[in-house]
Amino acid sequence: MSRVKLIMKSSPDVSCINQDALFLTTKATELFVQHLALSSYNKGSGKQKNTLSYSDLADAAEETETFQFLTDILPKKILARDYLKSLEEMEEVDDN
Amino acid sequence: MASSSGNDDDLTIPRAAINKMIKETLPNVRVANDARELVVNCCTEFIHLISSEANEICNKSEKKTISPEHVINALESLGFGSYIAEVKDVLQECKTVALKRRKASSRLENLGIPEEELLRQQQELFAKARQQQAELAQQEWLQMQQAAQQAQLAAAAASAGSAHQAGSAQEEEEEDDM
Repeated sequence: MSRVKLIMKSSPDVSCINQDALFLTTKATELFVQHLALSSYNKGSGKQKNTLSYSDLADAAEETETFQFLTDILPKKILARDYLKSLEEMEEVDDN
Repeated sequence: MASSSGNDDDLTIPRAAINKMIKETLPNVRVANDARELVVNCCTEFIHLISSEANEICNKSEKKTISPEHVINALESLGFGSYIAEVKDVLQECKTVALKRRKASSRLENLGIPEEELLRQQQELFAKARQQQAELAQQEWLQMQQAAQQAQLAAAAASAGSAHQAGSAQEEEEEDDM
């Protein structure tokens, strides 16, 4: 739980946190993990193979409204060549 | 776990804890390693999200400390309202445990001797011990003195004895002097 406290305090502007509030947040985070895992699994294609993959999670993040805050930190894995291509495009824009 | 290179942003919930939670939620499901890593990072993100939201709510309410109420409202406004019921239950348990602990400690104080009294008794014992030691030291000193005196007397008697051999008349005089 002390890890949770550290993470909370690393957020900007957060000063003091009530002990019970910390406890609550920790519990909520646990529930979040379960929720994320479950819904990713159920929605995902991995269900047939009884696995949970990265893309299952990424899909869940995109499709579920409440998980959309995660899209910033989990880029959908894209093919390297596509990435290079988009890089080139960006450079062209800069040149102009 | 000390980390010299990490900055605040590398802070995450311990991997083992996450793995355990996933295992409990999805038993018998194989989970890709990068998926696990992702969940770990999502947790951190989630905590930041809740903290910021709760912090905003807290500021609006003009309080300095984020309270459980603020956190609950944050969950609601971010769409995690479904967590609220369970989270509230846990909060209740938490309070009950805290209450029991407080009762237990106050009961101890009432039945037994309060701390102040114990302290006082301790001081008394110390003082007694010091006194005894002092008396003991004094006794030893007296004994030493007595022994020294006796030694002196013995020495005097010895020298008087040798003088006695020299002349008995002198002894009588000495006796009068003594």
